[in-house]
Amino acid sequence: MRLDSSRSLLVRLLMLAVLVLVPPMGLASFMALDRFEQGMNPELDRKAAAVGRDLVVQVERAVAYGIPVDKLVGVDEFFAQVLSGNPEIRYLGITGTDGGILFLRGALSGQLAETYHQQSGGLTGAQDSVDGTTTQIGDFVDLALPVKGRAGLVGAVHVGFDQGYISSRLFSIFYDIAVVLGASLIVAFEILLFVVVFNVSGPMKLVAEAIEYGKKGDFTRMPGIRADDEVGHFARVFNATMRQVDSAYRGLMAYIDEVRTGHFDRDAAEKAGEIAERVRFLFRFDASGAPSFLREKLSSDVRLPLFLFIFAEEISRSFMPLYAQSLPLRLAWLTPEVMIALPIAVFMTGIAIGSLWGGVVTERLGSRRVFQIGLVPAALGCLMSGLSQSVFELSLWRGIAGLGYALVTVACQGYISKTGGGSRQSSGLGSYVGAVLSAALCGTVLGGVMADRIGFAPTFFVSTGLVVVSGILLGYLLEKAAPDQDATTESKDDQRGLSRIFLNWRFSVLVLFAAIPAKIALTGFFFFLVPLMLWNSGHELPEIARIMVLYPLVMLAVSYYATRFSDQWGWRVGQIAVGGILGGAGILLAALFDGTLPLLVGIVFLGVAHGMSASPQLALIPDICWVECHHYGRTRVLALLRTLERVGSVIGPVLAAIFLPLWGAEGAIVAVGSVVLGMAAIFAMLASRYGDGPHLESEEGAL
Amino acid sequence: MNRRQFLGSVSAAALGLWGRPVLATDMPPSKPYRIYMALWRGWEDAAQGFKDYFTNQNIPVELIIRDAGQDRSKLPEFVAEAKQLGVDLVFTWGTTVTVDMLGTYDKVDPTKHITDIPAVFAIVSQPDGAKVVPDLASSRRNIAGTSYLVPMETQVNLLQSYRPVRRLGMVYNPLEKNSLVAADELRALGRRDGFELVVAPVDVADGKPVVASIAPKVAGLKQAGVDFLYIPPDTFLNINRDILTGAALAEKIPSFAAAENPVLFSKAMFGGVYRYYTVGQLTAYKAEQILVHKKAPADLPIEPPKRLSIIINMPVVRALEIYPPMGLLGLAEVVDNSEEVRP
Repeated sequence: MRLDSSRSLLVRLLMLAVLVLVPPMGLASFMALDRFEQGMNPELDRKAAAVGRDLVVQVERAVAYGIPVDKLVGVDEFFAQVLSGNPEIRYLGITGTDGGILFLRGALSGQLAETYHQQSGGLTGAQDSVDGTTTQIGDFVDLALPVKGRAGLVGAVHVGFDQGYISSRLFSIFYDIAVVLGASLIVAFEILLFVVVFNVSGPMKLVAEAIEYGKKGDFTRMPGIRADDEVGHFARVFNATMRQVDSAYRGLMAYIDEVRTGHFDRDAAEKAGEIAERVRFLFRFDASGAPSFLREKLSSDVRLPLFLFIFAEEISRSFMPLYAQSLPLRLAWLTPEVMIALPIAVFMTGIAIGSLWGGVVTERLGSRRVFQIGLVPAALGCLMSGLSQSVFELSLWRGIAGLGYALVTVACQGYISKTGGGSRQSSGLGSYVGAVLSAALCGTVLGGVMADRIGFAPTFFVSTGLVVVSGILLGYLLEKAAPDQDATTESKDDQRGLSRIFLNWRFSVLVLFAAIPAKIALTGFFFFLVPLMLWNSGHELPEIARIMVLYPLVMLAVSYYATRFSDQWGWRVGQIAVGGILGGAGILLAALFDGTLPLLVGIVFLGVAHGMSASPQLALIPDICWVECHHYGRTRVLALLRTLERVGSVIGPVLAAIFLPLWGAEGAIVAVGSVVLGMAAIFAMLASRYGDGPHLESEEGAL
Repeated sequence: MNRRQFLGSVSAAALGLWGRPVLATDMPPSKPYRIYMALWRGWEDAAQGFKDYFTNQNIPVELIIRDAGQDRSKLPEFVAEAKQLGVDLVFTWGTTVTVDMLGTYDKVDPTKHITDIPAVFAIVSQPDGAKVVPDLASSRRNIAGTSYLVPMETQVNLLQSYRPVRRLGMVYNPLEKNSLVAADELRALGRRDGFELVVAPVDVADGKPVVASIAPKVAGLKQAGVDFLYIPPDTFLNINRDILTGAALAEKIPSFAAAENPVLFSKAMFGGVYRYYTVGQLTAYKAEQILVHKKAPADLPIEPPKRLSIIINMPVVRALEIYPPMGLLGLAEVVDNSEEVRP
């Protein structure tokens, strides 16, 4: 992303932020964790003792009623209930007087049998002790409590802890803290970027530009800065000087005029006229009587509101299918899998409709207005998603949220692509992708942590709040900035004419075999199957979020270099082809082996693939659709591409949900991966012919 | 519903209390409420529960207690006396007393039945079946009441939670309609849960069930391979409960009773019941709604207590060596008089 000329200031500020934020938080966390660990051990011991005593009471009651300890019924279920209520307890067991295992749940008897047999002598000795005896067995800490019947000792109840439990809990908490810290640094970075660009480097750039004009003798422009801070003060002083110079010029010219008209000496009058000509030649001043204001739209203007908005929308990313799963399913004519996929699919449909509409509306109303309009359904959809009582209701609100999401993103893309301009187009869009991805990064991880701590519904309320903040911020920016100049009116004929873009086979191939499969991979595999699979294999919400954040993380890193690379070498088609194939292969790889690691690898592959191909896809459009861009506006062609690729987003989860009951989770991944890989291969073959036939790239300079 | 879920719901019910308001702020009236209690077979737990509720809630009542001693001919006298005393409320115990004193909803005769005085009934096994009320949501009359039978589905879930059953046996008196209804319900649940109901009606001679045929019927069920015996809330079997449960024990068939007497006072192995005492208390709560809170009896639904009592007869369990699951045992009231029984 281009940070204009403010890089060094920003980098210094960011380093300062890191220095200010990280050490105290790190220290505080470290101390808290230390306390936690110290407190945890005795807490666990007490818990074991409490659970053990409770079990002993119940077993002794049964024994007192004359049930022999080895003939107890339903112990397994009884233990299962206690274990599910106390996740920190690893296993529960009952042994006889000889130390033989009668009942055991949560561990393999082979792991414990030997120690119990050796222990049986010791237990009789500890008969008096109500507190029982604690033994270390491998990784387990075993608390044995004696069970007494009418005729004395009849056995023992064992409560087992995993030694690794505390460290795994600590690790997970530590991870959560690190994630929150990392995310807050990104937020801090975005805010700093905004503050620096908006308040300092943006205005300075204008001042520099005005000075640059002045160097050439052009005094027609002065920086249009309205601010009450030091920069504003500086600008006012600068502008006052400019005005002074301007009025001095006018005074001078008036004097020359006076000399010319008042003097009867022709020579002197001619001389004065020459001087006036000379002055006019060397210096240019505004004819209207005062220098005009210089303004520039910066793509970074909308970056922070956009960041906050995407952040809000991405919060539900890691748990959406799980949230749907937790709501009652009302429609019987759809399989449960399809029902769970429904909110994602409807959300994507909302985005598709919204982006279709947004493209047209943006041309007419201007980006900022559309951004504002889009915030309303976005906020409402977010709020009501949290209040939904059924999957159907949730799907409906997700659709509305999708509509808002599309309007906002299309408006931003249009805005950025207009302000970026010329050779920097790919970088400008890279900046958009950068903001979206860093927001996705924060949203995904923080969403997981939040949902785990405060629940699904309140997390949605937090999202709603962020959307509202984003809207307020934009309203403030709107007031400050100049009104939009990009509103144009277009005739109906042009809209119909746009459909002829499909006759451009390069465009159709790009849409069908590159953009759509990329979205199928994203929504079908990543948004839908990944959270479900991770949840089913026993991962907690923050863990799922941490795994899922790999995608935007990898994509952010890759897209930064991929954008540079594509701008420098123009190998856009190749990047898209390789990206597509990598993505498909990655998904297949995820299903080839068992466990979480291959899934992780698949996600990383997908991140690399999409990082490589996402911004070249957008940047390729002016190359292959030069005529259409010229006729209908680049914003609308881009919007069309984004709308068409949403077809893939809608198909993705539905396809995966159909595959799921047929072939199971792994089969579904293989199926989705095969579809993606196959389509990418077709693109690679067809795209190799992009260079053949009439080519328009030579005309790019005319744009 | 699997066993664990069932036990969960039972334990929730066991802990749950009726949502009744605390009446500490209500001023006690200067005059106690006069309640006419018409009983069928003497003072027992339901009547005690009814009385204790008023004591516990500090509601002054004057109880006029009459026992029919299972003699139906005394009931018209009770009706006349209650009317003559002009009591505030009538309490009727059992189906017979209730039907004879309050009439059925389709045949109410103000000369023979109590109509103007509000009434509450208890221990009526099927208030709707016996036509005391048209439906359990509302009596649509000047009466309210409670039911005391555990819904059949709850009973079967409870039974299955002790030990999965494949073939369920049932001895019953074919002259009692209750038992026929119970058999139909069990068959339907059997189809759902995959068990078969094997019925053995006792012999009938001269229009009366034959006591001597109970034991052979139980033996017949044993031969038919039943693995659990269901004891319906049948008056005849309640009277002859020792013979029935004794025979089951002799045949080593575990038995489940739908009423408390066979478990509490005989040799049925376990039961899921609403205790008479609790039913009495709930009935008193209904009476309170009418007397103190001036609610119309027709507005009060006919309902059973929320607290289910699981009773396990430990000497029988030990004799059969069929032990209850730990989870069930934790929720159960255990009868253990330490007096060992023999099959």
